[in-house]
Amino acid sequence: MNVETVLSIQGLTKHFGKLCAVNQLNLEVKRGQVFGMLGPNGSGKTTTLGMLMGVTNPTSGSFTWFGQTPTHLMRQKIGAVLEHPIFYPYLTGQQNLELNAMIKGATAQQIDRVLDVVELLPRRHDKYRTYSLGMKQRLAIASALLNDPIVLILDEPTNGLDPMGIAEIRELIKKIAADGKTIILASHLLDEVQKVCTHFAVLKRGNLMHVGPVDDVGKGEETVEVAAYHDDVADVLRKFPGTAGIKRENQHYLVTLHDGFHSAEINRYLFEHGIVAAHLQTKKKSLEKQFLEILAENSEPIH
Amino acid sequence: MSTLYLLKIDLKKMRHYRTFWIICGLYFFMLVTATASGMEFLKWLARTIEGFGQNININRIPLYHFPDIWQNLAWSSGLLKMGIAIMVVVSVTNEYTYRTLRQNIIDGLSREQFLMSKVLTNVLLSFTSMVLVFLIAVVTGLIYSPQFDYPYGFTGVGFYPAYCLEVFAFLSFALMLGMLVQRSGLTIILLLNSYLIELIIKENIDEYVPQLIKFFPLESIMNLVPLPFARYAFQEIRDYVTWESVLIALAWATLFNYFAYLKLKKSDI
Repeated sequence: MNVETVLSIQGLTKHFGKLCAVNQLNLEVKRGQVFGMLGPNGSGKTTTLGMLMGVTNPTSGSFTWFGQTPTHLMRQKIGAVLEHPIFYPYLTGQQNLELNAMIKGATAQQIDRVLDVVELLPRRHDKYRTYSLGMKQRLAIASALLNDPIVLILDEPTNGLDPMGIAEIRELIKKIAADGKTIILASHLLDEVQKVCTHFAVLKRGNLMHVGPVDDVGKGEETVEVAAYHDDVADVLRKFPGTAGIKRENQHYLVTLHDGFHSAEINRYLFEHGIVAAHLQTKKKSLEKQFLEILAENSEPIH
Repeated sequence: MSTLYLLKIDLKKMRHYRTFWIICGLYFFMLVTATASGMEFLKWLARTIEGFGQNININRIPLYHFPDIWQNLAWSSGLLKMGIAIMVVVSVTNEYTYRTLRQNIIDGLSREQFLMSKVLTNVLLSFTSMVLVFLIAVVTGLIYSPQFDYPYGFTGVGFYPAYCLEVFAFLSFALMLGMLVQRSGLTIILLLNSYLIELIIKENIDEYVPQLIKFFPLESIMNLVPLPFARYAFQEIRDYVTWESVLIALAWATLFNYFAYLKLKKSDI
């Protein structure tokens, strides 16, 4: 087993009665990756993370953390926030963290540090139930950072936050990732995943539909936006050997290219045919577009 | 993790919980007042019931005399264990309603350790109850008792470990019920009704298999310290602890905690 493999999942399956929440999931997460788990609500993200953290019993299949069979001692070195933050409402933020530090076997000195990271020091002695949602989320992240975890699991960490809160959490995740920690991030916010993740997987109704690096998004066939003040543009573009498809959108033509063709070649071709392009822009495929393609009804799960 | 450490974790949850202090405070206050007010109760009986004082001179009833006091107080205190059982129910059902049980496991407690931390708190509460009632017995005994004969005065002290087991077995029952039902209100209602449910079953099988009665869970818990007051009506009572009653109650306490363990092990939380 490769030591750089943090998490390895083999054929993990969970049934709730007749419903199959997670079906034959195989995944690998390597050290240092910021791994995004994407999928619509109910696609099995939380169930998968629940199994990885020992609160949901798998129906079948197995997984290893750091190449070993999971035990509760390993969980002490994994910081996790699943779904929404969970704390004792009648305890203060400080007392809640003291309790969690006891459970994780962390020292009490770490509490100051993690509270500082999430900027909750001024409110540490207030009861948890008086916190705003953003503060609760931040306290949950602080708790996950106790004991200096090797892996951080965050499930919808920006759920229900206002734009400022979202930006704060995103900065926090980037800061933590810069420390070299492995992060597993479940989200349905594609923008968020594209901004912070290095790798991503897509789940749909419990099936794994796609897994790969985020950088690969946008590779493959290119789409170029072309506009020119000339009547023959459409005809010329259609004759261009690299054109796979052409579509009119507002003032532009959207030209989908075959593999290996780029915008420069279109430009040259147009010029050779006496047309000067007024607008020429390569459109990178967004994660959102790829996500929707992956989730399209006709796509097949990978196992 | 050591057992003491697990106990500390559960106490950490309770230490800043006001409800815990209110219920525990009320419970221990009730223990003290209820066990110390026996003579006042007899005086009230003599005033209220016609002829009570004439037939029996209440000052001649050695309610607080050594060695009677040991069993009298152990039995009376056993009536109040419901109070502390309610605290146990609140403590465990809170973990479900706040979902903190789930977070405890995520943070690295094993399910066995979680249960163990709750069971250890039950041990502590039972032990504290026993020590407290023992102290009340010593103090009130010294006040009311005309003399203390050694070793005769210690007859029946064995009921104190039995009382401790009685409280622990009942708290184990409450803990199991709380884990199965997961809602505090419903669990408390079931806990209060469990005596009635058992009574109905017992009454209906008493004619056919009376030898089975002593094996019923709540019956076996009550049977550890038998009712002592019949002796003041010149009836025969059992004034010693039997090994049989201890073994049956111990078996139930073990089973209750084992059922709680099975439930916790199997369920998704």
